[in-house]
Amino acid sequence: MAASDGFKRHGEHSYLIQFDESEKDVLINLCEQIIELLAERVDHGQEDPLAAMVGITSHDSPPDDDVLRRLLPDAYKDSSDAAEFRRYTESTLRGKKEAHAISIRMALKSSPEGDVELDHASANIWLGGLNDIRLALGVRLKIEDSNFDHLEILTPDDPLRGVYAVYSWLGWLQESLLEALLSEVE
Amino acid sequence: MVKTADAVEAEIRAIFSNNSPWVTIVWDDPVNLQSYVTYVFMELFGYSKNRATELMLQVHNEGKAVVSTGSREEMEHDVARLHEFGLWATVQRGDEAL
Repeated sequence: MAASDGFKRHGEHSYLIQFDESEKDVLINLCEQIIELLAERVDHGQEDPLAAMVGITSHDSPPDDDVLRRLLPDAYKDSSDAAEFRRYTESTLRGKKEAHAISIRMALKSSPEGDVELDHASANIWLGGLNDIRLALGVRLKIEDSNFDHLEILTPDDPLRGVYAVYSWLGWLQESLLEALLSEVE
Repeated sequence: MVKTADAVEAEIRAIFSNNSPWVTIVWDDPVNLQSYVTYVFMELFGYSKNRATELMLQVHNEGKAVVSTGSREEMEHDVARLHEFGLWATVQRGDEAL
């Protein structure tokens, strides 16, 4: 489904891509799913408004959902240190990930022709946002090691086959942006 | 490039000699692209492409790598930034990490 040619460097601090209609739709849809998923992790029953204001949440255990747990991982091996860190930082991390997905969605929504231009800062936002989508799909596809055999043999009617195609395309897209970022200015 | 025992020893010495007993560890993840992990190390820590590639390969081949050392607060800051980019990172005491 690689209808676009990926990201290309344009001058010193600019990176361009031209998406086709279906690519745009897929990407917008995936961003919306990430935004929805992160919103599920709302801070239920926040007792202390001051704590809420400075970003302290009632969450001190990792999410039950496998995808959310991968997007919002523990920062310590030790569970009590991890819980403490999570209480003070999780809502900030969640907010940033949500902002990345919203930013990608906005850029696509506001481009009727499907062309997107990024500077260095927005390229980093796209890299992080695309990576979050790949992490989420990776959990659903049960990508746990470098062995992709179980995905190569999916039958054409298996819904995971389409998911795997999107996952692969996102990897290619991310790679093209990395190449553009790391390439020398001509 | 696989790390030699000498290099590991030098790293341990460095951790303790400059009074920075905490480390940030990045763990291997089959989803994150190698070029992405390298880029994130360059971007967040200002490492050269060679240094960042070496660390990425260590994560890939050995399952983990120490990517920064310093105070506990500094390491927590580094881990938060790595999580923002979706890398799998934890804070550990330096003497428990190697």
